[in-house]
Amino acid sequence: MSPLVPPASEPLRVGMVGAGGIAGAHLPAWLGLGAQVSVYALDGAPELTAYFGGGTVVGSFEELISQVDVVDVVTPTPFHREYIEAAAAAGKHVVSEKPLGRTAADARAAIDACAAAGVQLYPGHVVRFFSEYETMHREVEKGTIGEIAVQRFTRGGTRPDRAWYHDDAQSGGIILDQMIHDLDFARWNAGEVSTAFARISKNGEGLDAIVNAQVVLTHVSGAISYVGGVWARPGTTFRTTFEIAGTGGILRHDSTQYKPVVIDGGTPDESGTGLLPAMRGVSPFTTELGEFARAFTVGPAPRVSAEDGYAATVIAEAAITSLETGQPVSVELAGVAA
Amino acid sequence: MKIAVLSFAHLHAMSYLHALSQRDDIELVATDPDHADRAEGESGGPEIAAMFGVRYLESYDDVWEWGPDAVIICSENSLHRPLAEQAAARGAHVLSEKPLATSVEDAQAMVDACEQAGVTLMIAHPVRFSTAFLELKDAYDAGVVGTVKSVLGTNNGRLPMNVRKWFVDKELAGGGSITDHTVHVADLLDSLLGGVEATSVYAVSNKILHSDEVEVETGGLVSIEYANDVIATVDCSWSKPDSYPTWGGLTLQLVGSRGIADMDAFNARVDGHSETDKNGLWFPYGVDADQAMINEFLDAVASGKKPGPDGRSGLRTVSIVQAAYESVRTGQTVTL
Repeated sequence: MSPLVPPASEPLRVGMVGAGGIAGAHLPAWLGLGAQVSVYALDGAPELTAYFGGGTVVGSFEELISQVDVVDVVTPTPFHREYIEAAAAAGKHVVSEKPLGRTAADARAAIDACAAAGVQLYPGHVVRFFSEYETMHREVEKGTIGEIAVQRFTRGGTRPDRAWYHDDAQSGGIILDQMIHDLDFARWNAGEVSTAFARISKNGEGLDAIVNAQVVLTHVSGAISYVGGVWARPGTTFRTTFEIAGTGGILRHDSTQYKPVVIDGGTPDESGTGLLPAMRGVSPFTTELGEFARAFTVGPAPRVSAEDGYAATVIAEAAITSLETGQPVSVELAGVAA
Repeated sequence: MKIAVLSFAHLHAMSYLHALSQRDDIELVATDPDHADRAEGESGGPEIAAMFGVRYLESYDDVWEWGPDAVIICSENSLHRPLAEQAAARGAHVLSEKPLATSVEDAQAMVDACEQAGVTLMIAHPVRFSTAFLELKDAYDAGVVGTVKSVLGTNNGRLPMNVRKWFVDKELAGGGSITDHTVHVADLLDSLLGGVEATSVYAVSNKILHSDEVEVETGGLVSIEYANDVIATVDCSWSKPDSYPTWGGLTLQLVGSRGIADMDAFNARVDGHSETDKNGLWFPYGVDADQAMINEFLDAVASGKKPGPDGRSGLRTVSIVQAAYESVRTGQTVTL
């Protein structure tokens, strides 16, 4: 469906809803792209804008809506759907942090609301924009390693410190919150997913738990994928790895091994110990939001669509169901355009 | 001490012959009676024995007549059982190449035969004796990573058929990459976890790699849950390209309450790049794990103490492999 709401003009006027974890990555990226940014949040907005030296704090969502072209939903997961729908109802294009919804049904409803309102919606699957990942995907698409047979993705680091992440009812747990990045990527590389199987280990309780989930996917193509996610003890370095094996070779990366600069100061390296990896060179958030911004104005469709965001929530939900049943769960996409 | 190497079907026989020939306290013979039946161009028989200066006998009967104290079985996987049973019946201790057998039934029969005969049964899992694993196990036992609740293991290699075609023969090998590679990681977990039983297995496989060359699976992921609630996934795929600069590798990641431990068993190496070969160079170094394993077996034979990994651990890892195939067949999780 072609958008009914006309393209936005530049400079893009962006309204961020939320001032938590990922807002600290989005705000500087928007500012760097030349956008005019307003921020509405229950708390933390003044500190956020002061820290980055840009953006205007507004007192209500209605006020935010009245002065922007695009709404960037960076709230905790359970609020994604209602803010996407509210933005759509006001005729605003939307960027939503992943997951697109707390459930696949929420994601579907959010997409339908945006389609009905004629606004564009893009999910923040930012891993598609990380240099090492986009380079790998480019080579996969070029056929450099032939047909994909077996993929492995791992992602882990210091566990989140905010309580809502550890409440499965709110966040969906590590599979929906963190591993959805690699579930999305596994599908981007190897195509639609047939089944998801998952196990999880929790070492400790609540906020102090070390969590590791392991997901095994089968793809329609016959390829198989492993996705592993860890929320580890504070101070653990954020680390990502992948190995993609195909009929023509293998592609791999390890964020702790492939470092352009290493400085040993005799003290622990604090970089990359939070919820985000250490990022060098091109900011994936600038690449991501810049691509979305161009789509909102006159540019081509970005590399990730709302339907991709929906599919990722369906795969994650199947994996979460598998945790309960102990059996593989078939992945059924509803309402996805071919 | 009289030691016999039975069959050169598995080329680890060459490494064992080398390790054994370093010992001046043993008498050594070897036989490879079926070498003439092997695929064209595959080496074997007296020619290999001569490379190591080892006395060669023409048949298994000649070996039994010679009267070995212990045997090392390097036959095709499905022939481990009859050779182990013959050895046990003659009171000879057994070191069997991995996997112990191609079915739980055969593995159980081997364990029973050796226990009833009062002889040692050990499985050849040399990675247990690698510097990397010994260091990891020391750290694990000392509690450095705390309580471990989950593990990711990888054992990826090149398609092994270029040296021995039987590796991809379902009858002789028992299957493909799931048979060949799951057991190495499962054995290391058996050692770390103290022999705790697996309670459920889910596995997927495919044959995308080398699809026109083999009938057996080449890619596989095996998810295991143990009785102590530890979960593990093993990537057992033959996913290293034919031109990869070494045979493959093995990694283990332990996620614990106090930290994450990563082991790369074959990371001790000098590497580089060759213009002549148009490929990477890869030269491993360090302790010879095969030699350490052979020494453990010979010490056990001489002293009567129990070596590891023993027949019962081999039985546990074969049970995981058999459950993995059942899971692939049914598409369901298999409870053990």
